[in-house]
Amino acid sequence: MARKSRGRQKVEMVKMSKESNLQVTFSKRRSGLFKKASELSTLCGAEIAIIVFSPGNRVFSFGHPGVETVIDRYFTRNPPQNSGTMQLIEAHRNATVRELNMQLTQVVNQFEIEKKRGEELSQMRKAQSQCWWEAPVEELTLPQIEQLKVSLEGLKMNVTKQAQKLLIENPGPPQFFASSSSGGIFPYDRKVGGFNPNMVLPQYDYNNPGYRRGFF
Amino acid sequence: MTRKKVKLAYITNDSARKATFKKRKKGLMKKVSELSTLCGIEACAIICSPYDTQPEVWPSPLGVQRVLSQFQRLPEMEQCKKMVNQESFLRQRITKANEHLKKQRKDNREKEVTHAMFQCLTGKSLQNLNLMDLNDLGWMVDRNLKEINKRSDSLKNVTNSQMAAGPSGEHPSQRAEVPVFEVNNDNMQRQQWFMDLLTPQEPLGFGGSDEMMLPFVDNNQNPPWSNTFFP
Repeated sequence: MARKSRGRQKVEMVKMSKESNLQVTFSKRRSGLFKKASELSTLCGAEIAIIVFSPGNRVFSFGHPGVETVIDRYFTRNPPQNSGTMQLIEAHRNATVRELNMQLTQVVNQFEIEKKRGEELSQMRKAQSQCWWEAPVEELTLPQIEQLKVSLEGLKMNVTKQAQKLLIENPGPPQFFASSSSGGIFPYDRKVGGFNPNMVLPQYDYNNPGYRRGFF
Repeated sequence: MTRKKVKLAYITNDSARKATFKKRKKGLMKKVSELSTLCGIEACAIICSPYDTQPEVWPSPLGVQRVLSQFQRLPEMEQCKKMVNQESFLRQRITKANEHLKKQRKDNREKEVTHAMFQCLTGKSLQNLNLMDLNDLGWMVDRNLKEINKRSDSLKNVTNSQMAAGPSGEHPSQRAEVPVFEVNNDNMQRQQWFMDLLTPQEPLGFGGSDEMMLPFVDNNQNPPWSNTFFP
């Protein structure tokens, strides 16, 4: 894959020449800047205000506890009020922020796990696809395509049969399709786009490599 | 630069916190400066802490004044539109992170199901799949069928318009390892194979060599699932 971003390369500290790159850079760096500011407040309890004007003259600002508060304090040099109410409010706010930080950390960790799994899956496929029918369709000859078509249609029939078999064995409302079904289970609901990762989420067990009931 | 993952929580150790503050404050100022230079925009930063009596600012007290007045001259709505604090900013990040997670899961699932499809094409049993797996598998098969039909149609159009000399399809371009198949449209025989499939059997090994045949196709009258193909 061709390198898309400048990544770990040195960037010259002058105004960027290409307008389109400038926009993108602004967007990314502004986001990163706020992220760093957020971390600084969390880690060290610092009070921060950052104001940034975009190339299009929109204004973005980040402030902890709040932009206005910090600006006021800067101008008036007022020591922060230490009334009981203020402390209560601040404590509550800090508790919320603590929770949000934990939530964010959790989601990011889950993402890292899934990303790793994705790389493993890609590796697995690369190691195994020596069969002609796994090649992209464009590389196949017409007779090969005809073969593959027959096989796929056969497989489709089997899948349908097997599903019907399971349905007969386990009558009752099938929970997994509750959110997507338009009335029938088979033919499967194509409107959903095929995959419903949301359906499985609560049951994911990341400690168990074979976490699916299926054979994946 | 540390390679350790930093926990996103208030640092309780006083000296560690002070050290972190100094480093990160410096880094933050640098980042604001870079953003301003690279994009040619106005910006300012104010950082207050128990470690400094005076708040530290960028670019300079005068610069801060300038930017702040520019900011405060704007209508209130404009000021607030893109204003965030810790709470709102973190919520935004969580939303984005959830989106990335969802997409990655979807991609992974797609890879899994594709892999399963190819395994099933070469004989692996459907026994261990639950309804949801079957649903996803069926969808994947359908999608591939659509692609194949599209491709086959376009290929047929090409050969038709080119009026290729000689019969087509008799001797497909051969890779040395792949024997010539004959598609047998005998329905009776096909049904037989399905019956075989539907009776519980051991999941068949997956050889991965080019000599393997696809099931459902008459391979020179050899019965499917015979041990010649799956040693």
